Amino acid sequence: MLNLATQFTRFLGSVKLAVPLMTAIAAILIGATFYESEVGSATVQLQIYKSWWFGLLMFLLAANLGVSTLTRYPWRGARKVGFALTHFGLIVLIAGSAAVIHLSTEGMLLVRTDSAANSQVRVEGDLLEVIAPDGRRQQTDIFVKPDGSVYPPQFAGIELVSYSDNAIKTVEFREGGAVDNRAVRLELSSDRMGQTLERWLAIAPAAYSDLEVGPAQLQLMHADTDAELQGLLSPPVAETHLLGVLQIGAQDIDVEQQSFTPIALPDGVTVTIAQLWPDFRLDRDGLPSSASSEFRNPAVQLEVTQGETSERWFVFAQTGFEPIRSGETIALDPTALSYTPPKQTPSDFFRVVESPDRELFYAALSSKGFKSGSLALGQSVTPGWADFEITLAESLDRARVQRSIVPVTPVAVPGGAPQGSPALHVTLADGTDTWLPWGEPTTVASSAGDYYAAFSPKLLQLPFSVQLDDFIVERNEGSESVAMWTSAVTLTDAHRGDRVQRRVWMNHPTWFEGWKLAQASWNPGDLQQSTLQLKREPWWVTALTWLGSVLVVVGIATMFYAPALLKRFRKARAARSNAVSPGATTASEVSETGETPATEAIPDLAG
Amino acid sequence: MKLLKFLLGLVLGCLVLVLPVSQFQPDTLDSVRSLAVQLDGRKKPLDTVANETLAKIHGSTTYKTAEGTTEDALTTYLALWFNTRNWNEEPIVLMSYRPLKEAVGLDLERKYFTFQELMTNQSLGEIVKQAHLDELDDKTLDRDAREALIVEDRLTLLFASVGDKSLPLVPHPDDIKGTWVSLEEATTLYEPETVAPLLAEFAMMQQGLLRDFNSHLEMIGQIGTTFKSQLSELSPTVYPTTATLQREVGFNHFHPFAKAWQIYALAFVVMLVALWVKPWELYWGAIGIFSAGIAVNAYGFWVRMQIAGRPPVTNMYESVVWVGFGIAAIALVFELVSRSRYYLLAAAPLSVACLILADSLPAVLDASISPLVPVLRDNFWLSIHVPTIALSYASFALALGLGHVALGNRLFAPAATGRFKTLSQLNYRVLQVGVLLLTAGIILGGIWAHFSWGRFWGWDPKETWALIALLCYLVPLHGRLVGWIGDFGLDVFSVVSFNAVLMAWYGVNFVLGTGLHSYGFGTGGSGMLILGVVGLDLLLVAIAAARHYGWFTQAVASAELSSAEAQPE
Repeated sequence: MLNLATQFTRFLGSVKLAVPLMTAIAAILIGATFYESEVGSATVQLQIYKSWWFGLLMFLLAANLGVSTLTRYPWRGARKVGFALTHFGLIVLIAGSAAVIHLSTEGMLLVRTDSAANSQVRVEGDLLEVIAPDGRRQQTDIFVKPDGSVYPPQFAGIELVSYSDNAIKTVEFREGGAVDNRAVRLELSSDRMGQTLERWLAIAPAAYSDLEVGPAQLQLMHADTDAELQGLLSPPVAETHLLGVLQIGAQDIDVEQQSFTPIALPDGVTVTIAQLWPDFRLDRDGLPSSASSEFRNPAVQLEVTQGETSERWFVFAQTGFEPIRSGETIALDPTALSYTPPKQTPSDFFRVVESPDRELFYAALSSKGFKSGSLALGQSVTPGWADFEITLAESLDRARVQRSIVPVTPVAVPGGAPQGSPALHVTLADGTDTWLPWGEPTTVASSAGDYYAAFSPKLLQLPFSVQLDDFIVERNEGSESVAMWTSAVTLTDAHRGDRVQRRVWMNHPTWFEGWKLAQASWNPGDLQQSTLQLKREPWWVTALTWLGSVLVVVGIATMFYAPALLKRFRKARAARSNAVSPGATTASEVSETGETPATEAIPDLAG
Repeated sequence: MKLLKFLLGLVLGCLVLVLPVSQFQPDTLDSVRSLAVQLDGRKKPLDTVANETLAKIHGSTTYKTAEGTTEDALTTYLALWFNTRNWNEEPIVLMSYRPLKEAVGLDLERKYFTFQELMTNQSLGEIVKQAHLDELDDKTLDRDAREALIVEDRLTLLFASVGDKSLPLVPHPDDIKGTWVSLEEATTLYEPETVAPLLAEFAMMQQGLLRDFNSHLEMIGQIGTTFKSQLSELSPTVYPTTATLQREVGFNHFHPFAKAWQIYALAFVVMLVALWVKPWELYWGAIGIFSAGIAVNAYGFWVRMQIAGRPPVTNMYESVVWVGFGIAAIALVFELVSRSRYYLLAAAPLSVACLILADSLPAVLDASISPLVPVLRDNFWLSIHVPTIALSYASFALALGLGHVALGNRLFAPAATGRFKTLSQLNYRVLQVGVLLLTAGIILGGIWAHFSWGRFWGWDPKETWALIALLCYLVPLHGRLVGWIGDFGLDVFSVVSFNAVLMAWYGVNFVLGTGLHSYGFGTGGSGMLILGVVGLDLLLVAIAAARHYGWFTQAVASAELSSAEAQPE
């Protein structure tokens, strides 16, 4: 038994364990860095570097280092001393680094020059706080993996299904309204975009009868008569006057066709359409221009002449806007002039129409054309926008509104900002399925009673407050590139009555009550704002890393170079004192495995 | 006698420095060269501006005109600045990436194109437009798109440089960090009557050059002297001193790093001769030449540090030059201790390779001196951590060289078993230095990280790869203790493990492209080329191993051997 223990200890401290262990660690680290470039740092930190098995591996390495050093005691000779120093130093470093990762507190503090002092640090990660129906209160850190799954998968009897950073509050419809109110649930799917989304449409409330979904409008309409039904199901009439119509008295003039051709009016007045501004505005130099090609604020520029006089008139489409004219001499009634812009070309749409006898029909317009037909539950229609397919998934006769949070998979619009906010998808034991919005405490009803749940950012209260007095951005001479940014802050501890002013800039943090404040980032667009990194770790952790660092470097240097230096020194001393005692130095030069160090005996080939 | 030979070598090395002597003769344009310009966040002589502009547009600091004459950067720059030629039709813009030329239908055999050709090329315009859209959407750009953007930058710079009226030549009246203005805007800072002579001189220079470029260069030099002294008198405290400006002009023309590799190459040849022609006893001469090379290299770093006013190693270019220097310096120390010849023989080609690489890839390794990003600024730890790490890379590179010498000996001189042992021992010593420096470097980095990022160690990819590299060398050193790895194994490991160093040094930024250490490193070079070289090298190791362990029959081995001869080391 004892023998076995000795053998185990010997193995634990052997080079034969160290070499495979180091090889394994190197291999894991190589894999981890490549994995990191795929999935990002946060995931790798959680799955590998902070995982229990990696910790175990590090512990095994530390054990190997420790046992190997202890079993080779006493450390005779400079080489052995160096070996012991290095290995002990490494153990201390591993312990210190692990302590930094696990025992330190770190967070970001946003401060502004134009707002009050801040004392709440935003710690990385999110928090879920739950009060169960039995009144028990629990909280946990939430970690979201890149695929949207959540860790921990289960908490306080709630199953945490997934996370979306783009959820919006919307409504669902349920059967059970007091009056007839048609509601339909449409499923839109696109293989090419790899997405499926759902939308509810309802006759009432009106906001839900017409929705925009990126590529097109979704509409739900009710037809009271068959004629109306026919109208809703026929293709939209194309605009014939592509640039609109100018009315002069009773005369209609097509702008596209009659531009630049003088139009004769009574009293020798001629009008020429000189220019069309679809989105009229004055530019920086006060000259007329069009902000876009959309007909948002259309205006027509006319050259009005009478004999020798010539004036420039601007006729606006907006009602209640008299023409602006460059002179007042020409006798032409300004109120007789008006301009009707072209009707907006209808955008693509998918329209569900309820007939007077409550049958469902559809009409769809896309760049590929118009189609219409009857629509049954489960039927799929391809309206012609990319490869989108629309399915009628559900239809309710007497729908009533039920508010809820649902994740939205937005149709990818290049450059479009996400409109939603983060939310957590949870299910309860009784099958209740709901979303918890980020930063808003929510009550979830279940058969067992009400759950109170809050999915919120993780905050930490500091014992002091930080006020940003000034944010100084220094730039490189003659250029816009930033040389340095500095936060001038006032740190106030109300309890102790301490109040100090400090400056924090890159690589130059400041310390206050055990907290380290460092300049983290800034917002180039808002120079009144600065983000500080706040960090606190026990003093002994810092001490451990310093100690370990010194031990390792001194140890390696001693191990490699002290024997040769000592030998030379002794030789020199022996030569000086003339009292030679050979053999005294060689005994200590043998390494732990009895191998002669290879640093010795380099033949002098040059001689 | 030894000392005499050493000194002789030293003098011979210095001779390379001063030849050709013409480089020290002041030419007529010196005053124009040392006109101060405030550009990209610092004040620099016009000579540097000319070099940087031409290097960026043309990929080289000399330009061969259509008539076949080769111009230096300043002459070309003056022709651009004063717009003396039809730059629309001069083939000056570098575009060498073949697939892009193919994609936009340009002549594949040409490297340089005219402004007009590229600006009117519709498909190139489309690619550039698409690349900008993709950049906005945070999409990763493919090589074609990145190259197209580089070409666009060249065109923009060329357009801005031709007839450039906005070059900031006029110093700020009192603020040493104040923004300088162009001649045209000089009246915003100074009285019109002060500015008038400057404008007149500038106009004279322009007219002279427009009339006949080459015959008026001398006149430009004369007017330039007055022009410069008047500019400097506007604000004597702000305007850089002549010594400062001359120092940088001198640095540009002396090319210390290019001279250094020539001297290293010379030392290598002399050492080879010393090895074969024993009676000549050239050993100390070679050492002398080699020392001269190290001295020039160190001098180059010293001047560059003074010009930039910051620690020696802050970007990829500087790290490559520094490693080249480190290899030579470490080799010299070991050579002086061991007198084995092999250190010098292994080090010289590697130093030469590093310095040539740094000189010839301006797109990847940008040699221009520009201000540091805030994280790296004002920092004690930067000046220790990076040079230490880079020196450890240099040690491992030297071990790589020795490993190749050893493997080469095993392949081509299998009878010299005594030499194997020696080489392996020499290698072991270098690995020790590397391990000590890398450990110290990693720890120094940790201390810096403690101040800068708030933690000693955080598994950032660059940190992790430095540790992986260290482990790759610790494994053989420990394996050796239990007899798992012998002399041959050590040689193999010193070659194979260097790939981990390459990854830590270069790969983390360009292959993984993540992490906190990504400052100041431009776009990556050709990944396939690097992979190819690494692959060939590993093949060589495999062949040596096959030979060593007798994996194949003698016949196969000799066939392999003949194919190995074709491989570059």
